[in-house]
Amino acid sequence: MSATEPRGIAAYTAARIELLGTTVVSGARALWALWLLFIATVAGLVRGGRPRGEIARQMYVIGNRSLLFIAVTLGFIGMVIVYQTCLQFNKVTGDFSQVGSQFIRLAVSDFAPTLTAMMLATRVGAGIAAEIGSMKVTDQIDALRMSGVLPVDYLIVPRVVASLVMTVVMAILGCLICYVAGGLTAEHSFGVNPEVFYDLSLLRWQHLGLGLAKASSYGIAIPVVAGFFGLRAQGSSEGVGWATTSAVIGGSFAVILLDFVWSIFGFFLFGASL
Amino acid sequence: MIKRGGDGLFVGQRAIAGFGTTIINVAREVGGISLLFAKVVRALVPPSMDGRELMKNLHKMGNRSVPIVVLTAFFAGALMTLQSAPFVTRLGATALAGWAAGYAVLREIGPILIALMFSGRVGANNTAELATMTVTEQLDGLRSLSIDPVRYLIVPRVVAMMVMMVALTVIGDLVALAGAALIAHWVLDIEYATMYWSFADNLAPADFLHGIYKSLTFGVAIAITSCYFGATVRGGAVGVGRAVNAAVVAAAVSIMLLDFFMTYLNA
Repeated sequence: MSATEPRGIAAYTAARIELLGTTVVSGARALWALWLLFIATVAGLVRGGRPRGEIARQMYVIGNRSLLFIAVTLGFIGMVIVYQTCLQFNKVTGDFSQVGSQFIRLAVSDFAPTLTAMMLATRVGAGIAAEIGSMKVTDQIDALRMSGVLPVDYLIVPRVVASLVMTVVMAILGCLICYVAGGLTAEHSFGVNPEVFYDLSLLRWQHLGLGLAKASSYGIAIPVVAGFFGLRAQGSSEGVGWATTSAVIGGSFAVILLDFVWSIFGFFLFGASL
Repeated sequence: MIKRGGDGLFVGQRAIAGFGTTIINVAREVGGISLLFAKVVRALVPPSMDGRELMKNLHKMGNRSVPIVVLTAFFAGALMTLQSAPFVTRLGATALAGWAAGYAVLREIGPILIALMFSGRVGANNTAELATMTVTEQLDGLRSLSIDPVRYLIVPRVVAMMVMMVALTVIGDLVALAGAALIAHWVLDIEYATMYWSFADNLAPADFLHGIYKSLTFGVAIAITSCYFGATVRGGAVGVGRAVNAAVVAAAVSIMLLDFFMTYLNA
């Protein structure tokens, strides 16, 4: 088949356009289904009637079991960010007095909640999608429905509540860990006095509010996205693998997107005082 | 009187036992990953792998990941500009907007975010695929035909991920800088030319290469962890889900650790 043939080009272009259209339509449909799941979750939250102790169990799975993971990753991120910043300050001014106060400002309002949530999106999101996906392919979701239990109320709502609480807790913890790790790095590698580094004078209520708002929205988004992909799993082990992969990508991307929206919102609300 | 649990242990004892189990499991996985890495390196000297499998993986892992990488990189660049925006407006230092955003994107945020997305899209997918093959005993099938699964399946994947991670980071860096300039124009009213000169004056090739070295090591780490957890899976559909979960977690931890060491080595 040669590319110069007009019929070939027309057929190729038509196929491409068709592919694009299919992608857009199925993407829009998926987004609409995700929105419906979110609404169903909110409705389930209002309705109540979850299994007892489920929220506490999910909190343990989402929070306590991620503790080491978050501590390690956020600790290293804090060290690297402070190291890179000091390196750059060293080249330009050699004055490290601002590093700590600027670092905590950025960490509270952006880095700590966002990177914690990215980490939770991989760990918790993949876990939720794998669990719900396995239930879906072994027909346990249909069994729930048959016994008159709404899968959203039974599976998604407890995870959303637990993740909302635990993401906020983990973000605060992650922020503390990366602040302490950053301070130690600055002292060890560049000789910055800890009293100078641990300076909270630039931190305002806006930063704290923005950080908490970001963390809570991530906490809601991650389990909803992961549950969405888990409930769509089809086939057998391949379907579960696909659902888990999509949950990681979808959750991480939701975090980045929400971060962008909140950052724009924060900048227009507080402007230069942020 | 302190209560004993169902396993006959006190609370403190159980905590210590759990801690020990975690350490042993981590050690076992680190050992397995190192062994697999050694096997892959041995298969690469002299290089012998399935060419068709390599091309297929290059296409699947590279070309098909471009959309998600471009989107991620665009937002990463935009976010870095937004984070530096308060300073820039307070000090009126528009010429420095590109410095802060570009430095952060090229050295840290670009490679890390792209690697996390790559790990989610390609690494997790790869684990799921290999795990499905393992669960359905296709790896044993290959072995019974005296085809080495490491050479046939794993080495092409590792090479493809290494190459494509670097290629995607180059594309992503460019898109991220474009995103930074775009947001600077929309939100801060900075001219594109100002942003361009701000990038050109303040960023050195070393900053770009720093990110590229990192992305190369991230690519290897994602490839080895995802192949390891895929090839050692046990127990059906549930096992596949668990393997993917373990692979993305291990990839995320190794990305952060490697980022730290590469920063120190390259400083």
